[in-house]
Amino acid sequence: MVFAENLISNLFYGALLGSIYGVATMGLSLIFGVLRIVNVGHGAFIMIGAFTAFWMFTLYSLPPVAVIPIALVFGLAIGFIAFQAVIRRLVDAPELSTLLATFGIGIFIEELAKLVWGADYVGFSWDIGTLYLGPVTVSYSKILAFFCSVLVAALLYLWFTKTKLGNAIRAVVQDREGAVVCGINVNRIFALSFSIGIGLTVLSGVLVTLFVPVGINVYMGGDYTLKAFVISVLGGLDSPWGAFIAGFLFGLFENGSYAILGLIPGVEPFALTRFVAFAFLLIILLVKPTGLLGGGE
Amino acid sequence: MKALKVFVLGLLVFSLLMAGCAQQEKPKPAPTPTPTATVAKTPTPEKPKVETLYIGATISLTGKFSKEGQMVLWGMQVAKKWINEKHGGIKVGDKIYKVEIKYYDDQSNKEVVKSLVEKLAVQDGVKFMLAPYSSGLTLAAAPIAEKYGVLMNSHGGASDYIFEQGYYYVVQTLSPASKYQTGFLEMIKNIDPNAKKVAMVYEDTEFSRSVFKAAREYAEKNGFEIVFDKTYPKGVQDLSPLLNELKASNPDIIIGGGHFADGQLLASQLAELKINVKAISILVAPALPKFYDALGTKAEGISAPAQWETGVSYSPEAAKKLGVDYFGPTQEEFLQMFKEVSKSDELPSYHAAEAAAAVLSYAYAIEKAKSIKPEDVREVMNNVEFMTFFGMWKIDPDTGKQIGHDMVIIQWQGGEKKIIWPPEAANSEPYYPIPTWEEKEQGKLAKP
Repeated sequence: MVFAENLISNLFYGALLGSIYGVATMGLSLIFGVLRIVNVGHGAFIMIGAFTAFWMFTLYSLPPVAVIPIALVFGLAIGFIAFQAVIRRLVDAPELSTLLATFGIGIFIEELAKLVWGADYVGFSWDIGTLYLGPVTVSYSKILAFFCSVLVAALLYLWFTKTKLGNAIRAVVQDREGAVVCGINVNRIFALSFSIGIGLTVLSGVLVTLFVPVGINVYMGGDYTLKAFVISVLGGLDSPWGAFIAGFLFGLFENGSYAILGLIPGVEPFALTRFVAFAFLLIILLVKPTGLLGGGE
Repeated sequence: MKALKVFVLGLLVFSLLMAGCAQQEKPKPAPTPTPTATVAKTPTPEKPKVETLYIGATISLTGKFSKEGQMVLWGMQVAKKWINEKHGGIKVGDKIYKVEIKYYDDQSNKEVVKSLVEKLAVQDGVKFMLAPYSSGLTLAAAPIAEKYGVLMNSHGGASDYIFEQGYYYVVQTLSPASKYQTGFLEMIKNIDPNAKKVAMVYEDTEFSRSVFKAAREYAEKNGFEIVFDKTYPKGVQDLSPLLNELKASNPDIIIGGGHFADGQLLASQLAELKINVKAISILVAPALPKFYDALGTKAEGISAPAQWETGVSYSPEAAKKLGVDYFGPTQEEFLQMFKEVSKSDELPSYHAAEAAAAVLSYAYAIEKAKSIKPEDVREVMNNVEFMTFFGMWKIDPDTGKQIGHDMVIIQWQGGEKKIIWPPEAANSEPYYPIPTWEEKEQGKLAKP
């Protein structure tokens, strides 16, 4: 009985966490899909989002939910600037160059943020109540974070499938040369995709603060970067939806496995949850080497 | 051509990195010339001869410990200022040594620490060093200091494990990790002998493991019952599964934590899951003002062990009563000089106090040893016992572990950080049992 209760509540927590992981990875996958660039500085943009939420709340008492569109616009702008300043020149460059460049951008942003905001761990307290649902106790802000994540993913999906620009981006992902032949301005698509990718990532930083409104620090992105890489591989590298679903599953496995591991005497369940999540990644890749929704090759 | 481009880009990224580092080293005082040996002569006509003694350090000015690193640097600079300006330098025979700090940014990175300690020992010829911040980095630095016979003073590496490796040249200024949570248990035992059920939930790192190993032993010896004892990995984003299980164990008190981020997360999620207990003590995070800023009234009643707090009563008079020497600035002088050095209104955290005390302990021991040879100073350190504004300083001769210094316990009461234990250092009564999360939501404060 206790086990069942634990499992249910942990799966519930896992689903909430997974949705955040999902959105926090979509930008990475989108950028890789279109530009074939691995954004090693990914976490720095999540941090920017988290700080945006923190400052908007602290200075203007704006709840994080209201900050989501602001963060998106802010992220689009940062993405556009970064693209024009650095990435544009590296579209067809060897991987090492793009890795170094994105790594450099990440460090530059982190250190700039530290110069401006300091190295403190900050946070805020936005209480909108708690939901008691059987064995589950959870704050409404986490549930809100979940719904916002799903909404963002759904809107992006609609935009990609129903609009001309969205289709153009997908065309570039599928076949760059073919897209050029069809009259698509690939350079514009690159700029747009990179901006959207960064916009999404900054936005996910706001969702992170809805989930955990404390521990916001200029170096917080590192942990998310690592997980985002794993999740994007799991999701199929170039597929933002694959990333979302993979993130969701990753969260479920990470938190859900806790209840099962807790039954084994003498082990620290939390130390093994990541192992389980990574083992799961390995199994998926053995069965389907291109990831969950990865196509081709 | 392409290879050239890659190379140029690599250079660019590298220079960007370096620019980032250089920016962080801005608060550095006038650049210190690299000494060819420990002692560089500055010609002065009068007696006694004035020379320079370099104290080396790797400081985390960037990376995850950059906040603490900045405090450490300021603390060291205050100690240097006091020694050179108020004390008139370190007196050894007919010579006076002015202290200079030779430091590099270790980027909070183990590998960087290792190479920098080696650089300080070999290239810069430094003979006295402060260990880096944190147990993990100190563990990386210690074997190298030992290898080169450089005296290394740990001001931010609390783990007992460091001092169980048999190093001779590594000594400690702050209280070891084993003392961190035992004081809190002692306080609970004193104010509520019926509170027996203890839950321990902590970060799986060297420092926390040391803290909770000692807490477990203390609890078992003193009749507490440990109803929950689990760790969480570093960099965790969600503690819900763990805390869900903890809730079912129905403890009276919770002790836990690790560092800043997870400490804030722990408190925040205890609140979210409405886990009500009589007292909570979390490592590190609550000792900093940002904890209250981040959590608001949820922080009320939460305690933390602290190495030092503004307001702790160590003074020349207190030293006199105990029959030991007092060395270094008084607390008021320290606060004043800290303000001058940091050029800000920010109050010093205990990291600054620890680092200052470590530098002071070198000055005191060197004067006692009448020598600047590390082996002589280390030998003398075995027998010295004195007080600074940070507290007592006395090491265990066998291990170098600090045994003189005592921790204090702070508690957030009505938005203020109060010292509640031990009674002789306290400036407020412990608030016990702490308000429930529901009461705190209604605005109840833990004000006695």
